[in-house]
Amino acid sequence: MTPPDTKRAALADLVAMIPDGSSMTLGGSFLHRGPNAVVRELVRQGKRDLEIIKQSPGYDIDLLCRAGVATRARTGIVAMEGNYGLAPWYRKAVETGALELEEHACATLTAGLRASAFGNAFQPCAGIDGSELPRLNGWVQVEDPYGSGDRVWVIPAIRPDFAIIHVNEVTPEGDCRVTGTSHWDHIMTRAARRVLVVAEREVERSEFQRQPELTLVPHFMVTAYTVVPGGAWPGSCWPDYPVSYPAIDDYLVDDDDSLRRHLAAAPEAEARA
Amino acid sequence: MTTRTGTESRGAATSWSAFSYMVVNLARFVRPAEVTFSGVNSSFPMLACLLAKRAYDFDFTYINVAGGVDPEPPAAPISSSDPVLTTRTASIFDNEDFYDLCCRGGMDLCFLGAAQIDGAGSTNVSVIGDWHAPRVRLPGGGGGAVMLPTARRAVTWRTEHSTRTLVERLDFTTAAGGMHGLVTPIAVFVLRDGRLRLDSHHPDVDPAEVAERTGFAVDTADVGPTPPPTEREIGALSALDPSGQFARDAAVDLR
Repeated sequence: MTPPDTKRAALADLVAMIPDGSSMTLGGSFLHRGPNAVVRELVRQGKRDLEIIKQSPGYDIDLLCRAGVATRARTGIVAMEGNYGLAPWYRKAVETGALELEEHACATLTAGLRASAFGNAFQPCAGIDGSELPRLNGWVQVEDPYGSGDRVWVIPAIRPDFAIIHVNEVTPEGDCRVTGTSHWDHIMTRAARRVLVVAEREVERSEFQRQPELTLVPHFMVTAYTVVPGGAWPGSCWPDYPVSYPAIDDYLVDDDDSLRRHLAAAPEAEARA
Repeated sequence: MTTRTGTESRGAATSWSAFSYMVVNLARFVRPAEVTFSGVNSSFPMLACLLAKRAYDFDFTYINVAGGVDPEPPAAPISSSDPVLTTRTASIFDNEDFYDLCCRGGMDLCFLGAAQIDGAGSTNVSVIGDWHAPRVRLPGGGGGAVMLPTARRAVTWRTEHSTRTLVERLDFTTAAGGMHGLVTPIAVFVLRDGRLRLDSHHPDVDPAEVAERTGFAVDTADVGPTPPPTEREIGALSALDPSGQFARDAAVDLR
C-alpha cells in the first residue's frame, strides 16, 4: 500500500506543479463543483499561457481571462448562468483576440476526450450535420468501413496535460469520490496525462472500502491532492454548500480593486495567509 | 389588477404575462410517456418541465443537466444546472449518459437555447458578426450541434421577439436539423414541411405584429390566439414561482 500522505500537498505546492503553457481540463459545470481554489491559485501565482478545456466553463474561465492567465480554450458553452448571462471577461478576451478559441459542442469535446481515454487518434460523434463547426475546426467525415453507407464525423483526440477536479472526499492514498452528479469528471480524468484533486475533506480508506463503487478516481491515477474546505466557492459543492450568489455579484463588480477583493475573500485565502 | 387566474383585466385584452405565456407554452410541448430534457442556461424549460409534472395528468420522464431523473426539488433553483435538480432522484444520469442517449435516438424532446433562429429552425448560439471578428461572442456550441440533429424533437425559446433574433439569415449556423417548436413572448411556432410556421399568437398581439417583428416569412392565414392558461397551469406556475422572483428576473415583456 502507498504510504499515507505522500500525495497530499499544500494548495500552493500543488499549483506549483503546473508549468506555464499547460493545457488543463477543469471539472464540474458552470457554477457547480469546479476546482475554483486551484483556479484562483493559478491567478495568484501569475501563471501564463494556459489552455482551458471544458464543456461548460463559466466563473473559472472568466476569472482566468480576467487575470490574463488563459490564452487558449476549447469549450462547449460558456456563461455565468443563472441570472448573469454571458461571462463578461471571457467574452471580452475572445472579442479582443486575447483568448484563442476552438469552439465545440459539448459532445464533440467529450468525443475528443474519449479518443484520448480510449487510446485512439479520433472518436466518432453523432449529429453535427449542417453545423458550421466542422468547417471552422477542420473536422472530417468518414464512411462506415463495414459498408453500411453511413457517414460519421470524427473528432481528433484531445489530451489535456492535467485534469483538475474538485471532489467531496479523498483518502490519504488519493482515491476520490463525489456526491451527486459527476458531470464530465470521469472522462476528463481518463483523458488527461495527470490528475490533480481538490477535496472538501480527507476520510479514511476504510470509508471507501465499504462502498468502493462510489469511487470516481482510484489513487493510482492521482498525481497529487490538496484539501480545501469550501474550495468550490463561489460555486456549489453538493450537498455541502450551495452557490454563493452575493460573492458572484461582488466578483462581477467592474472596478480596479474587485479582483483583489474577490481573491482575498476566498475560503483558501485565510489558510494561505 | 392581477386576478386569481394570473391574467389581468384591461378591456377585452387578457394581459397574459409574457413570462407565464412562455413557460406554459414550452410545457405544452411535453408529451405523455416521452423522455424530455432541459439543460444549462435554461430557466424557462426547467420551469416548463417542472410545471408539466404538476399540471398534466400524464407521466413522462424528465431528465435535467444536473443528472436528475424525475427529481422533486423543494424549490426551482436560479441556475438550471443546479444539483438541487437531483433532489429525490432515484438515479444519476450524468452528462455523458444523456448525450449518448440523445445520439442513439432515445431523447424524445430536447429544449435547446438559441440566440438567433432562422425560418428552417437552425440556430446560432456562437457569435453576432463574423466568427473570426465577433461583435458579440455568445456562449457557444453547447448541446445544439449534436442534439438538434439527433433528438426526435427539439424546442427553443427567445425572450426577445424581433428581426434580430428571428432572422432570415443566421450570422453563423451553430446547429441545424430543424427546431420542432419555438416559443417567444408573443407567439408559438411549429415546424411543418421544413419551415417554422406560426401556430398561434398571444391573445393580446395581432398576428400582423408577429409577422412584422419576425425576420423570416410568416404566414398569418388561419392562425388563431393561443388557448389561455388553464387553472392547473396557472396554479403550477405560481407554486414554482411563489414570490414572482423568476418572473421579475426574466424581465420579459410583450413589447
